[in-house]
Amino acid sequence: MTPLGSIASAVLRVTPWRLERRLEVEARRAALTRIGGAVGAMVLVGIVLLLTGRNAFWIFWQGLDAIFGRQRGIEGAALRAIPILMTALGVALSLRMKVWNIGSDGQFLMGALAAVGVGIHMDGPAWLVLIAMAAAATLAGAAWILVPALARAYWDVNEIITTLLLNFVALQLVTWSALGFWRDKEAAVIQSTREVAHTLPGLPGANSVTIALLVPLVIAAALWWVFRSTTIGYEIDTIGGNPRAAGYAGIAVRRRILVVMLFTGAIAGLGGMLQLSAPGAQAMNAGFSAQFGLSGFIVAALAGASFWGVIGGGLFIASMFYAGIVLQTKGLSVYIIFAIYGVILTGIALGEIAARYRVVRRDAADESGAAATEAAAAPQGAGP
Amino acid sequence: MTGDGTRPSVEARGISKAFGGVAALDAVDFEVRWSEVHALVGENGAGKTTLCNILAGIYRADAGQVIVDGTERDFRSPAHAIDAGIGMVHQHFRLVEPMTVAENIHLGWPETPGVVSQRALVDRTERFMAEMGLHVDPTARIWQLSVGEQQRVEILRVLARGARVLILDEPTAVLTAKEADDLFRVIRELAASGLSVIFITHKLREVLAVSDRLTVLRHGVREITRPTEGATASEIARLMTGEERELKVEHRTVTGAPALELSGVSALNDRGIEALHNVDLTVRSGEILGIAGVSGNGQSELAEVICGLRPLQSGSVALDGKDLASLSVRRVTDIGVGHIPEDRIGMGMVLSAPVKDNAVLHNYWTEEFSQGLTLDRQGVINFAKQLVEAARVQTRSVFSTAGQMSGGNQQRLVARREALAADRLLVAAHPTRGLDVNAAQEVRSTLIDKRDSGCAVLLISDDLDEVLLMGDRIAVMYEGRIMGVFDSADADREHIGLLMGGHSAVEAVS
Repeated sequence: MTPLGSIASAVLRVTPWRLERRLEVEARRAALTRIGGAVGAMVLVGIVLLLTGRNAFWIFWQGLDAIFGRQRGIEGAALRAIPILMTALGVALSLRMKVWNIGSDGQFLMGALAAVGVGIHMDGPAWLVLIAMAAAATLAGAAWILVPALARAYWDVNEIITTLLLNFVALQLVTWSALGFWRDKEAAVIQSTREVAHTLPGLPGANSVTIALLVPLVIAAALWWVFRSTTIGYEIDTIGGNPRAAGYAGIAVRRRILVVMLFTGAIAGLGGMLQLSAPGAQAMNAGFSAQFGLSGFIVAALAGASFWGVIGGGLFIASMFYAGIVLQTKGLSVYIIFAIYGVILTGIALGEIAARYRVVRRDAADESGAAATEAAAAPQGAGP
Repeated sequence: MTGDGTRPSVEARGISKAFGGVAALDAVDFEVRWSEVHALVGENGAGKTTLCNILAGIYRADAGQVIVDGTERDFRSPAHAIDAGIGMVHQHFRLVEPMTVAENIHLGWPETPGVVSQRALVDRTERFMAEMGLHVDPTARIWQLSVGEQQRVEILRVLARGARVLILDEPTAVLTAKEADDLFRVIRELAASGLSVIFITHKLREVLAVSDRLTVLRHGVREITRPTEGATASEIARLMTGEERELKVEHRTVTGAPALELSGVSALNDRGIEALHNVDLTVRSGEILGIAGVSGNGQSELAEVICGLRPLQSGSVALDGKDLASLSVRRVTDIGVGHIPEDRIGMGMVLSAPVKDNAVLHNYWTEEFSQGLTLDRQGVINFAKQLVEAARVQTRSVFSTAGQMSGGNQQRLVARREALAADRLLVAAHPTRGLDVNAAQEVRSTLIDKRDSGCAVLLISDDLDEVLLMGDRIAVMYEGRIMGVFDSADADREHIGLLMGGHSAVEAVS
């Protein structure tokens, strides 16, 4: 039982109900409890806001209106969603193999940096430059995880530390480029590279959102298909489930780990290029990544490595962040906004755990209940 | 709280328990006396462990009473049971590996002083061990101990909590023969000092060797409780299985070119120590070669070397004249080698994955399921359903995870899957370990069917009876060497036993 599950059981002990672990969690239930968690958290936030003398209804209305009330709101949320979705998809892919790529921020930054380098130095038609930028970003993202991936695959070096630490190196490189070698010497902004001249084509009817929004959707669909219908997906899931069994089945475990980790880096790197190719964001500065990797990581973890869950969760969190920014302009302090984010994310996390349990009356529980307890208590394998 | 020898230490009256609508225990009466070793016998799934889990407070009965030393009890947790003096040692140990023996014994013990020095813990542990007549180095860390010693720590831990009724769940499943003998001695001593010991097992030899009385459970119903004295193995077996099912194996002598041929094979184990030393071995098509030997004498490494999972230091492995050592695991499988691994959970399956995915672990890449990149999902499901049916595996569906199946069902699934994959050679490492009589016979029949269809079968087992029953020829392994190879007609049990114990071939033959 998870610690939270134990606490909940302890609380329930004095009531006629008790917690029971489910043998299997259906996808639909898992999604619904997460939504329920988010809604519950918002109700809690509302009550606290009311108790502190704020008009909670007005605030929620403003938040919803900020996103859905105008086209700019929807586009603002979508723009924020793209980098979050890209980093989250990379992490979700790595989680299928039980590998933790904490370095998506760094891969994202290196992808953007490579894209800027190509964009400001290459002459040619816009489409060619953009394709070259995307290719460079993809390669740069993969290159940034190459050493951690080799170390993990062939020497069993823990990837959490290596990928995390490279984030800081990437950040320094970006700062150096903005202050130093690619600095824009004519612009008023001091800490920035020159601007790339091209942007991706806009979506029909949109002012600022480009076809970049389609990229994470296409990648999610592709990953979903790979894990549903291909031998490669089967092999990755097998490695994630039991690496020794994968070796026994003749799967080239080390090579698969290497390739999958490179892919996760490549996806995050491409995300950097997408971010850079939006109108008005065509230059790099030291604050270029507003911790998209961290948000992406949260999304992937909350989505439980389901690719459609990543899309839904990423869009939700991006909308929440956008609404928070608008609410700051309406006089709500940034600390309150952050606290609200935290409560809502916690609510979703609790929803994720809640999906694994059900509450039953004690007397009715024993029959089917003990079967579930037994299965939960049964040894779940000695595999590493 | 020791009784006068007549009042039962623990008594269960009319205990019933159902899981998900399936009755695991049906109005079972069970009674244990002070100073006795009581064997609780039955096949896998007969309800032995469920009954003891109820006595130990892990489950609650749907109906019936538990009476401890004359007082009715209603345990709501294992803590309640241990307060009443009932403690259970589970099949899977619950020890903290990086901590010392003394620390483990004092962990969660109400009598452990709040502030205490390492020295004092060790002293207390030593005094307690002396009192109980059971010894393990109190300063050793758990991971440094053998399985038998770890089990002793578990027993000490339960005794330290004041248990007067000790329940041991299949305690010998993980032990070597010598460790099992030591355990039997300990059990006898504990009973002699007045405790009750409940000993769950399905090994008849152990029942006869160690128990005072025995109770047989079958399909959740008590068949009999009787004194062990005068009972015979075949009688208990009949009560356990409900019918007599003896496997008759016709041994055969096969001539012709060897299918599998090992010559001069040496290999290292995981710790880099030589585990196989200059092994020469042949298995012909249509014969079973049984490898006898105590576990840990290189048998696992032998299986892994043949299946391409472990590199050779020297020598060669060939199947039908083709060098296996240079091939990948995948290619070895492709040319028709099946492998029932010793560690079926750790190596043979993915517990978190559905049964259907586990069913195709050794052939998902073949043309049957895969056209290039894609995996034929419906084909996998159909294959898994057939496999589950053929192996008589009990699972809710092929979509539920393998970890939800019982160990016996997992074993049956792996055994049947590998038998199907094996066209030329089947390497079976301890294929019946942990299975009840009927399930074991099924697996053995599968091996014989493979043999009769012309496949070469290498059977590794630490159960000498099994090797003698199944092997057309028998090889004995000791410390990574082949001590001798015999035709089944010439195999002398005593002689083989000596070789298994490391008496050199010359010494034993002379």
